[in-house]
Amino acid sequence: MEQSGTSTLLQGAVQDLASSVVSALRSGDHTHVLPAGTEEAGDVTLAAVRVLGADALLPGTLLRTPPDPAGLAVFRKAVEAYPPRADAAPTVRWSHWAMARALHRADPSGTFERPDEPGTGWLDGASWQFLTHQLAVLAPLALPGEDDGVTRAAGRRTVDVARGFVRAVRRRDWRQAAGAGRWLTLLPGVPETLGLRAGLEFVELMGGQDPQVALQLEAARLLARTGALV
Amino acid sequence: MTATGTREIREVAEHALAWTDAHLAAFALGEDALSADGEVDHSWKPLGELAQVCATVSHHTAPQDPLHTRAAAMLDFAWGQTGEGELFRHMQRLEPFATYPLEVYGAFASAGYRHRAYEEAAAVVARTRSWWLTEQEPTRRLAVLSAEERSGIRRAPVEELLPAGTWLAGRPEPWTFERDAGYAATHVVFHLTDWGRDPAGLPPALADYLHDWLPAWLDTCLEAGMWDLSCELLSVAATVPRLTGDPALGGAWERIRAAQRPTGALPELEHHSGDTEAAGADDDPHYFMNHYHSTLMAAFAAVLTTARPGGPAGEGTEGTGRKGPRHSGQGAPA
Repeated sequence: MEQSGTSTLLQGAVQDLASSVVSALRSGDHTHVLPAGTEEAGDVTLAAVRVLGADALLPGTLLRTPPDPAGLAVFRKAVEAYPPRADAAPTVRWSHWAMARALHRADPSGTFERPDEPGTGWLDGASWQFLTHQLAVLAPLALPGEDDGVTRAAGRRTVDVARGFVRAVRRRDWRQAAGAGRWLTLLPGVPETLGLRAGLEFVELMGGQDPQVALQLEAARLLARTGALV
Repeated sequence: MTATGTREIREVAEHALAWTDAHLAAFALGEDALSADGEVDHSWKPLGELAQVCATVSHHTAPQDPLHTRAAAMLDFAWGQTGEGELFRHMQRLEPFATYPLEVYGAFASAGYRHRAYEEAAAVVARTRSWWLTEQEPTRRLAVLSAEERSGIRRAPVEELLPAGTWLAGRPEPWTFERDAGYAATHVVFHLTDWGRDPAGLPPALADYLHDWLPAWLDTCLEAGMWDLSCELLSVAATVPRLTGDPALGGAWERIRAAQRPTGALPELEHHSGDTEAAGADDDPHYFMNHYHSTLMAAFAAVLTTARPGGPAGEGTEGTGRKGPRHSGQGAPA
């Protein structure tokens, strides 16, 4: 994933945060996912929120419960602390945009201004391997009822994403498999023969001890229950 | 076609067959091949695979093509090794219920090399109830059915040609693909399509299944340096209509070309090749065993990939065996 090379401290914070999101998705109680205020949230925590991206707000998004204002303030601080640089990779731009969208949705009355949607040109003609990798990195965008550019691009290449899922499982890349699997729960026309449900269970069996894998699988489970993209 | 063009893919076949030709002596049947307890995997199996690949190459190339000439000459050599079919009778007397002589014979028979007395003798055994009650892996059963058909011994009812019970026919979850399943799957396709000669023999549901998942299997086999299985998968891809030229296979031939040694040899597995190559190839018995099959499969895959649809010019619809009358005029004795 993108955060390779960052400090062990940050890795730990990301894993802790992912674990909290998983617990919240499972229990339905998400009030303690994020620190209860910007005072408590140190730099490492903010960075961890930025790494996890919009998924830090996933329990509220998927369970459709009102946001916790203190946690939301931390999330907003993370969004503002890490704007994408001018030369940022498309996945960095998009994951930041996804955070901005999540923030805007969670607090529509707030003063936060939503940035324009980045382009999707980098996915045009992408190999199925690269496409799946990029989508797995951008798994926080895989949400029901969305119509952003990345979601539309994914929707045009369901079989390719399914191939990427197969490849990721064969390569024992559980994070990529889980991210691709989350997309596949939403995409139209997934071939029956893929056995997505059994596949997600297998990924959980093999890689589910990693909270970042568990988070994607938990999201996929909820998405499968709430229905596919419009 | 991928970024690697027809010419480059053809070169893979040319180099692979040049290596094969240079190592023909290693395909010769030794004394141990003629005993009941001989090591089939080191004698009849390589010879049968040589015959099959050469039969396919000569079928898909025009008579004046150097690939055709070389394949035909090697096929003559291989047939000569069997005593022009006489050794199949010999083997049958030693092991009347063994299936491998018939399977090897089937490769020759498909190329028009026939031995009537052996076919009649094999048909006697094939008429027993026991022949069909023998417990076999489903893929092996399909191989025997196919060999019977090619040898004109028995024309199996269409429903028996369905690969029921095989891994591939069950269309399993593609992410469970492993090496053994891969070899079984490719061989089911080879038998159903008469080794690439009759793509129509592949049921549409299996063609769809392979279209969806073969690219992911191929990619991971290439990444693991499993050249042998990669070439088998490329051969299968060449018989799945919708995969022909599909960008999803992009880069596969570049990787095979890069893996092929200057001698034309392609090791079975990248990480197995170092020792035997360093040890002075031709003196090492492992060298041949670790290279011959992969090299033959490279030629097989390359020729199927570059073959014009419907086979070489001037051959009309010949080769669509299961659609029209099979073995017309061949006088099946059964």
